Amino acid sequence: MIKLIVDDKEIKTEAGNSLLQACLENGIFIPNLCFIKTRQHPHASCRLCFVEIDGLDRPVTACTEKVREGLVVKTDTPTVRRLQRTAFKLLMSGHPCEAKVCPVKGSCQLIRIAKHLKVGLNPKPLEYIDREVEEEVDLTFFTYYPYRCVLCGKCVYVCREKNGHNLLTFAQRGFDTVIGFFGSAEPVDLPCHGCLACATICPTGALIPKPELIKEAKMNP
Amino acid sequence: MSKLELRERFASIQRESERRNEEKNKESIPTIFIVMSTCGLASGATETKQAFEEALSEKSIKARIVPVGCLGHCYAEPLVIIDHPTAGFPPICYYQINADRARILVRSYLEGGDPVLKYVLGAMEENDLIPAVMDFPRFSLEQRLVMEHCGHIDPNDIYQYVAKGGYSGLVKALEAEPEEVIDLVEKSGLRGRGGAGFPTGRKWRIARATEIDDKFVICNGDEGDPGAYMDRTILESNPHQLLEGLAICAYAVGANRSIAYVRAEYPLAVKALQKAIKSAEELSLLGPSILGTSFNFEVSVFQGSGAFVCGEETALIQSIEGKRGMPQHRPPFPVEKGLWGRPTVVNNVKTLSSVPSIILRGPEWFRTIGTEHSPGTAIFSVVGNVKHPGLVEIAMGTSLRTLIFDVCGGIPKKKEFKAVQIGGPSGGCLPSSFLDTPIDFDSLTQAGAMMGSGGMVVMDEDSCMVDVSRYFLDFTQKESCGKCTFCRIGTNHLLNILDRITKGEGREKDLELLETLSKDIKDGSLCGLGKTAPNPVLTSLKYFREEYEAHINEKRCPALKCRTLIAYYIDLEKCARGCEVCVGCCPVDAIFTTKGRKKAIDQELCVKCGECRSVCPPEYDAVFKVSPPELAPIIERPPEEKKESKKSAV
Amino acid sequence: MALYNDGVGMAPSDLDHEEWEMIQDIKVLLPGFEKHRGNLIPILQSIQEKHSYLASTAMEMVATHLSITPSEVFGVATFYNQFRFHPPGKHQIKVCLGTACHVAGGDIILENFERKLGIKDGETTPDREYSVERVACVGCCALAPVAVVDENVQGHMQPSKVEGLFVQFQIEREREEREKAEREASE
Repeated sequence: MIKLIVDDKEIKTEAGNSLLQACLENGIFIPNLCFIKTRQHPHASCRLCFVEIDGLDRPVTACTEKVREGLVVKTDTPTVRRLQRTAFKLLMSGHPCEAKVCPVKGSCQLIRIAKHLKVGLNPKPLEYIDREVEEEVDLTFFTYYPYRCVLCGKCVYVCREKNGHNLLTFAQRGFDTVIGFFGSAEPVDLPCHGCLACATICPTGALIPKPELIKEAKMNP
Repeated sequence: MSKLELRERFASIQRESERRNEEKNKESIPTIFIVMSTCGLASGATETKQAFEEALSEKSIKARIVPVGCLGHCYAEPLVIIDHPTAGFPPICYYQINADRARILVRSYLEGGDPVLKYVLGAMEENDLIPAVMDFPRFSLEQRLVMEHCGHIDPNDIYQYVAKGGYSGLVKALEAEPEEVIDLVEKSGLRGRGGAGFPTGRKWRIARATEIDDKFVICNGDEGDPGAYMDRTILESNPHQLLEGLAICAYAVGANRSIAYVRAEYPLAVKALQKAIKSAEELSLLGPSILGTSFNFEVSVFQGSGAFVCGEETALIQSIEGKRGMPQHRPPFPVEKGLWGRPTVVNNVKTLSSVPSIILRGPEWFRTIGTEHSPGTAIFSVVGNVKHPGLVEIAMGTSLRTLIFDVCGGIPKKKEFKAVQIGGPSGGCLPSSFLDTPIDFDSLTQAGAMMGSGGMVVMDEDSCMVDVSRYFLDFTQKESCGKCTFCRIGTNHLLNILDRITKGEGREKDLELLETLSKDIKDGSLCGLGKTAPNPVLTSLKYFREEYEAHINEKRCPALKCRTLIAYYIDLEKCARGCEVCVGCCPVDAIFTTKGRKKAIDQELCVKCGECRSVCPPEYDAVFKVSPPELAPIIERPPEEKKESKKSAV
Repeated sequence: MALYNDGVGMAPSDLDHEEWEMIQDIKVLLPGFEKHRGNLIPILQSIQEKHSYLASTAMEMVATHLSITPSEVFGVATFYNQFRFHPPGKHQIKVCLGTACHVAGGDIILENFERKLGIKDGETTPDREYSVERVACVGCCALAPVAVVDENVQGHMQPSKVEGLFVQFQIEREREEREKAEREASE
């Protein structure tokens, strides 16, 4: 076991764990969207889990730091909060919150993070930006809502873990990046048979399953 | 195998190279060297070559035509060097030789013996008859190390490179222990030319120390900065020097496989490199057991598919592995775990091309060039508003002023210098107060720019700094891989803000927002692309803030560049009665005839392309540009005119 | 049964002629590439080099060959600027918007092409004669602003030169038509 100090509190964790993992296990919440415990090489794309470590001159992402004995960590310094809030506002500027129709409103990670950072669900002082993506996209077993998607990439990762293949991938590039499915195979022929791993892990309700199709696929594997 | 045998095998290659050289010299016929790299071809070198061939055969003159790589003097393309051994002149360099001039040169010089002085750039050797190019600052102030042989040899002929001492560095390295080679490179103080300036020797040492045997060396030729083309030129003009450096690197770190990553947009460079690999393999300078030693080394070419972010080493590796070129968090660094999980050294084209001469002439010699912390030379592609644009290789530590005003001839058309943009999308804009900054890794970074890829754009008073920042942000925003939040969405916000400022819709708080957002993007992004993307904004805000303020507060573009904020008008006092030049050139029929058969511009139709201004005969010079646009006098288009112009359009 | 469309069971009538040809070609081309993920981009490049774009079926065939999902091929192909998914026009116009070209007014040149053809950057005219795209630096900065028209670099572009280019195309087209008519008449 390794001992380290987070926000003046000593915590214990197993060697080899990431700092983010250690904090979450010990009930210290650090905002995150793209982190998956079992993932060997962290995706490190959401840029929310910043912390400050004694001896380092700038904040680092907690998901990419391995725990070390005696590490002294702060999770709520002004610099950390500034970066986290900006990252969050940036995400919200492309994610117009539609609380009324949102299918995951209660469990949405974004709400939890907003509360933690003490900010609203709007992008202020930034403006909403038009991502020029479709409202909804039909991805066989799911409907994909690009506006809700924060591109954390968890679905892409679990799809590969579960099926050995990437039925879902990132497509396009840069600001136009979306989650994509491509191919002419019939839903029943897809190796995942509607395994739902991707929809289950989605933190923002961007992938909504189509129950009828999944039922059918499960019945005729 | 003994060192003696290694030397003997190489000596036989050198002898063959000498023999070929002598054979050529035996026949004393003229040789015409034509620069046939991309810029040469773009300027019409193919037509020039064809004209030479036709004229020579018409006149039955025997001469050799040798296509060579680029000299870096883009302003003078198509560039031709004629060596006419019996004419009594040294080899002469000619500039802007199109097909007609080629025919004249054959007739006058090759046939008549008159060297046609009006097309002469200079002689290639010191002599009493024609001023030598070496005496011009564009040549004399340069110090060529990496581009030493570019433009002087046929890139497709390996023996010409050997004749210049090529591959001797590799032989010398193979005679030594790998650690000794790393020592030499470390002592030389060579720093990576890809932008960040990491010590090359240190990188090699880390790779050498890894316990895994199967290692890779990658040559990073994914030159994506939209204004830099030195890697392409080196690849096209002297690929062997790069291959030699690559082989030395592989030997030193203990790698047997290498990938040269070259942009697919550089077809000529890809071809030249592939050809060079083949001919080096034929002479056992690459391939299995090089020159009989136990060192095996194979090189393959990978064509980059066009993504600026792939210049970042982890993204580049992803791309070779057949994936989306998205940067990965480091550590692990590629030198520990890179391509296919193996230790991988990624070095830039210029870095690797610097290596052979370091090995051959020694680190002490290398350290005599440049500064203490940035030894060696820097290559810039100097473009924009300078008299002599092109590729320039100078010793590190040379000042920006020397480079821009002495080497490249300064600003044309009697305009004022305004700023220089260094390092492309990751770099910054420096004003004239920084002209005496020495060019080296640390000084440029300190000034807020960066060495980067070596792109340098010189701008005169007509360039708008807000517009330039907007341009670079537009570029990085398009080229962001989309992985991390700050770069994907943050650069888009920066672009939107800059966009509205250039359109006169800027708001009071915008500058503050630009600054804080830029700072957060720098601190928060995952990879180098995002971390440096705000640099053009931050530096121009720092040095040209009043320009931003004029756009926002007065809706005025001081450089008269941002098209929403300017208007063109025709001064009726100056406009010539009955002159129709501008009417004919306007792409949108916005110019109409008004009182006294003079012309006026319909502001509603005008797209502000400026064509009328450039075609208006200089004796009238009647078209003016103003900002804000309200300053332009409004002249109503008579209704019947409107009808008529419609009719004529039909 | 093949999970994805590998082009085997398809008849020429299912597709337009071009795509059919592409599929026939890929069948010959694929066995030449080892079934290795690292070959994905080189394969896509060689298909596009010959056919100027990547049809959906083509990408599915590549996926089958490399035992990866079509999604992965699509994800990679859409990441890179080089790959196109629609056939380009007969005449390809690339307007350079590198730094030097931008400073020299490259955007005005692009706008002129767009206006003249009534299409936007990245599009092809309905008659498939022309396509226009912006490229980031063709490396001929000393000739800025530059446009590459059918692989020929046109330096020092001006709005009037854009007009001139189309006049040339028009003349060429008329000549071709005339020659064609003459040929047909003589036959």
